[in-house]
Amino acid sequence: MRHPLFIARTVLVKNGAVEEAMGVLNNIMARDGFFEQYRRTRFYEKPTEMRRRVNYTKCKSIYNEEMSRRLAFLMRVNRPDPYPGCS
Amino acid sequence: MFRQLLTPVRAVLQNLGAESVGPKLASHCRSSGACDFSATSSAAYHTSPALFLGRRQRKEGNTSFVQKEYVADGEKASILEVRQSKGDDRFPDLHLPTREFNGIMFKDLPIVNIKATLNNTLLCVTDSFGAAYTTRSCGYDGFKNARKGTNVAAQATAFTLGKKLMQRGFRTVRVKVSGLGAGRLAAVRGLTFAGVNVVSLTDYTPISWNPPRPRKQRRL
Repeated sequence: MRHPLFIARTVLVKNGAVEEAMGVLNNIMARDGFFEQYRRTRFYEKPTEMRRRVNYTKCKSIYNEEMSRRLAFLMRVNRPDPYPGCS
Repeated sequence: MFRQLLTPVRAVLQNLGAESVGPKLASHCRSSGACDFSATSSAAYHTSPALFLGRRQRKEGNTSFVQKEYVADGEKASILEVRQSKGDDRFPDLHLPTREFNGIMFKDLPIVNIKATLNNTLLCVTDSFGAAYTTRSCGYDGFKNARKGTNVAAQATAFTLGKKLMQRGFRTVRVKVSGLGAGRLAAVRGLTFAGVNVVSLTDYTPISWNPPRPRKQRRL
């Protein structure tokens, strides 16, 4: 589907703050994966490379999830009983 | 046509407005002291960090505390977080094409097309119908070889182009940027340094999710 020009991927510049507007635009596009897709499709990706990339991303996300869970467990505050079993 | 296309945008904005009622309700609830039910529930599960009110938080009037309850995981990663309120004027809305900038409607403003590649930056000024008015590039302005692709070259080229535009009366323009080269931001900056009023930035990079087979990998 073609998106309407000057509606899609458009940021208005407020008070001449061009760099800020470009920052917002880039931020949104990076979050949506536009830049990654653009860079990845410059050259052909062989099937083996694609498999390696997908597997690597899988492992990384699993690791990140587990690590963030552990950190959240260690860093938690405001526990109702901070030292369970010691009272 | 714009009205049809913008209905989803409007729906999202309305939803945002509806969500912003939530924290207000909560703060009202807490100030009136009617939120005791959450105390019992969190004590039962031993998971909620919400209920211990320290001395500091009590002094501050719980303002930051109440907001914290309503931030879910990953919520900050959403694009909608960027939007400030219902009437965020950084993004196009229904009336943008007919809104006037410097006495000209947005849809009639001239367009500066910037193509920022890795090796060069090209600028082309067209009117609102796409008829080319003038073209400049870093190579045309005397930068040669690898220097064409730098941000300094892009800024200088855009500056000279902007001066020319100002002489010819193109004072207010909208900008279309394509490509991820070094001149992506620098060219727009150069235009503003020359005094051109840039109204909007549009990304026009051709990105496909089912492209034809690209060229083979470079071997270094």
